[in-house]
Amino acid sequence: MTSIIAFGGVCIVVAVFGIFAFIFSEVVPLFGKARVEKTATVQFPVTADGLTGLDEWSQLPFHYDGQRTLRFQPVQPSINQPSQVTLPLPDAVTVTSRRFDPEHNRLILGLSDGQVAIYQVKYASSADATGSTVVKGSVSSERLLPLPPGQPLQSVDYKDAGDRKLVAVVQGQGASAKLLVASLRQSRSLLGAGQVKIGESIDLTAKLEGQHPEHVLIPGTADSVIVETDRHEIFYLFLKNSAWELRQRFRPFPGESSPLAGIDLLLGDVSLVTWSDAGDLRIFSLFVPPGETTRLFGQTKSFPALPGGILHYLPSQRNKSFAVANDQLLRICHATTEGVRASIKLSFRPVDLAMDAKSEHLALLDNSGVLHLYQVDDPHPEAGFRAFFSRIWYEGSSKPKHEWQSTSGTDDFEPKLSLTPLIIGSLKGTLYALLFAVPIALLAAVFVAQFMHPDVKKVVKPVMEIMASLPSVVLGFLAALWLAPLIETRVPSVIAIVILIPLISALIGFGWSLLPVRHRNLLPKGSEYGVLIPIVILIAWGGWHLGPILERVFFVTDAPDGSKIADFRLWWPQFTGTPYDQRNCLVVGFMMGFAVIPIIFTISEDSLSNVPPSIISASEALGASRWQVVRTVVLPVASAGIFSALMIGFGRAVGETMIVVMATGNTAIMDTNGRLIFGEFGLGHGQFPLADHWDIFNGMRTLSANIAVELPEAAVHSTHYRTLFLGAMVLFLMTFSLNTAAELLRQRLREKFRIG
Amino acid sequence: MPPEPATPASPTTDFSAQGEPLNPAFIEVDHFHFWYGAKQAIQDINMEIPERQITAFIGPSGCGKTTLLRNLNRLNDLIENIRHEGDIRIDGQSLYDPSVEVISLRKRVGMVFQKYNPFPKTIYENVVFSLRVAGRNAKAELDEVVERSLRGAALWDEVKDKLHESAYGLSGGQQQRLCIARAIANRPQILLMDEPCAALDPVATLKIEALMTQLKEEFTIVIVTHNMQQAARVSDRTAYFFMGRLIEYGPTLQLLSKPREKATQDYISGRYG
Repeated sequence: MTSIIAFGGVCIVVAVFGIFAFIFSEVVPLFGKARVEKTATVQFPVTADGLTGLDEWSQLPFHYDGQRTLRFQPVQPSINQPSQVTLPLPDAVTVTSRRFDPEHNRLILGLSDGQVAIYQVKYASSADATGSTVVKGSVSSERLLPLPPGQPLQSVDYKDAGDRKLVAVVQGQGASAKLLVASLRQSRSLLGAGQVKIGESIDLTAKLEGQHPEHVLIPGTADSVIVETDRHEIFYLFLKNSAWELRQRFRPFPGESSPLAGIDLLLGDVSLVTWSDAGDLRIFSLFVPPGETTRLFGQTKSFPALPGGILHYLPSQRNKSFAVANDQLLRICHATTEGVRASIKLSFRPVDLAMDAKSEHLALLDNSGVLHLYQVDDPHPEAGFRAFFSRIWYEGSSKPKHEWQSTSGTDDFEPKLSLTPLIIGSLKGTLYALLFAVPIALLAAVFVAQFMHPDVKKVVKPVMEIMASLPSVVLGFLAALWLAPLIETRVPSVIAIVILIPLISALIGFGWSLLPVRHRNLLPKGSEYGVLIPIVILIAWGGWHLGPILERVFFVTDAPDGSKIADFRLWWPQFTGTPYDQRNCLVVGFMMGFAVIPIIFTISEDSLSNVPPSIISASEALGASRWQVVRTVVLPVASAGIFSALMIGFGRAVGETMIVVMATGNTAIMDTNGRLIFGEFGLGHGQFPLADHWDIFNGMRTLSANIAVELPEAAVHSTHYRTLFLGAMVLFLMTFSLNTAAELLRQRLREKFRIG
Repeated sequence: MPPEPATPASPTTDFSAQGEPLNPAFIEVDHFHFWYGAKQAIQDINMEIPERQITAFIGPSGCGKTTLLRNLNRLNDLIENIRHEGDIRIDGQSLYDPSVEVISLRKRVGMVFQKYNPFPKTIYENVVFSLRVAGRNAKAELDEVVERSLRGAALWDEVKDKLHESAYGLSGGQQQRLCIARAIANRPQILLMDEPCAALDPVATLKIEALMTQLKEEFTIVIVTHNMQQAARVSDRTAYFFMGRLIEYGPTLQLLSKPREKATQDYISGRYG
């Protein structure tokens, strides 16, 4: 028999550790670095430098020699054929500047006569008889933009945002350089998109306040240009109501010995990557700074310097990673987390970098026409301790934040994976649930175990135990659909009831103790509560109706039209600066409290009832009142059991899922921009950072609810999926370490108050 | 060991041929009936327990002696569904008067239980428990009470160096004497002892018995015992109970040597049962 029990126990331990091992194995890859391996080299039949690009299968890289020839060269000559294309450029011009847009494989060429030619490199794939992927490359001529003839183009960019197409060029060099932009218009008809006509080109040089443009970029929205000037400043020009205005002018490396060396965009085109001669790299993102109304660039990230400077920069087309390289080093970084994912020493001098659309392969072209192909295995670049637990300055945000927003509709989205708001949410829900449940459950347990008439106890105890078996989805349903709307408009009533019931009950108890013994002895012991029940009901009823009166007196706000409105829902945000949600901690705490009360009650009542009658008799015989018996003897002796009850209640509240899923807004927000209640007590905003997140009238999202809501939608083994497992692990570790600590403490309590 | 020979001047040792004590009746039990639910445990008991003597309750198990003892400080109130008729008076005052507060009654009536039951606290805190619950917390007073009570319970010399250690470190006999010290700390008038030596070895038993004869100088002691020799050794008067009735009550020597009733005779000669 004992061996069966031992076997069962071992099985449980193995199962728990098995679960932990599984969760751990899902989580570990999140913290891995990128693995970069060289897989192949391809020799192009040229030795000049040039520009290179990769198809999405990484089978047929191309090399553009910078003038008219573009060559495709297969990685595996047995499957694909090399080919060569001559670009149909006008005669007697040379290409003076070029830009490759990897998002659309678009080759934008600035010509010596001031015109712009745009080509697109296209790949088509098919399967051959053996099942291998055969890739064919071609070049289509998109358009030739006849900008006004002039100086050779020093820099060129073109973006197509559907209705809006914009081309920007820097014409000429040095002091004679001019910044020109031109919009392209496409006429539309019933038959579809019509011809594209180039609008009048506008000279924006004057907007640069005397500086000379060197390099120009257009963000993907095609409504602005970013210009790097000869004095290492950046000008941000914006097209508003068909007029160009200078929005911002800034120096990314102010007052430093190593000036700005280059600028480029990150995937999504809201972050500007800048680097200096010394290899320092800073990222500036567009956001609305406090006190402004438009989005401006502000520095959000900086990266450790790449020794020897940055010669090449290439953004990933899949996430916020990018690669930088110089003569000795190739480095892959992730912008969001400011992490260096991989560093590779180079034995050659790269002249260009290319990455496939899936960011799985990286190609480096050296100056002898050899293309070095690397396989990049970095499934979770956006993960890491920083991403999960620190503040991160996300794109578009005006300050670093803890934020959880795991998915979005667009590809250039930056996943926000901070677990901190979820941990705070879990603790917050637990805190409010326990704040509600612990006093009620413990006092009820003490009363039932030590004061109540046993005949009544025989009914009360099983009823409470039945309450424990209420499915939490029912409680969640009640909370969301009945309780939340009910107390939404009656918060002052709830406040009144919460204050009045304990207060008046205590007053009645005090008054009772002042009565002469003769009168008190009239009521049989253990049935005094009979007097209190109608009074409590009466107070609850009175408090409910007192609420609106309190609201009219205390919770009055000014309406926009100058009149006064008595509405707590408006008063709270105005007074505290924090929002009022219908599904808030009050509702969750109340309903989760209902789930937790029976557990705490039952276990602590058991341990209170198990206090040996001999020592209760002993203390009674020594003249202790019933309350003194409870306080001095029963509670210490039962403390270990009560402690277990609290811990099991805590575990239930932390892990509770259904109620929080249904009854909270599931908002993973811990950033409240207001002065809070704590501020009223001299604890200003930020001085006491966690205090900012405990607002009772806010919603929340807990770790458990987050897993329940998002796991069904997470792609297996994606970063999102593994991060949800990390949330599970955090929950596991939180409860495991807390329970272990509690068990140690409980053992000490039990030892201290052991009887005999 | 029978009680010491009497000197006429000493009120504690006088028992005349009629069995009438010189001491005034301190506890009067007057037509007392008692029920646990439907079961009657005590039937029509009348007795007077004199001051500063040791009165022993003897009788077979279930005879009602412990029930009567626990009624003397209304400790039976803890039990549900109890009922009584008749009256018990201490010093002329009824225990069941509606104006009596049980707590103040218990301060006058200390109790020592069959199984020693110290609290899970230090020796010191065990002794001062009755003072603390009465709201007396002055250190000097407590220290004095601890020493006096432990000396009174003949325990002082054994524990004076470990007053702040757990009471559970003591031997069984020491723990029972600690319970006695705890019971006398608040100077009750009456000390009820419910088979105080049942869980102790003979050496510890003798120590407790010697202690009891000292304590009767100050306290009125009522002891429940199954041990006839113990009753003979320590008590001045003995009451024999059977089936909830008081069969015979008188000076110990007389009751044990020349019982009036046949039932008493059978019990003390071991023919009972």
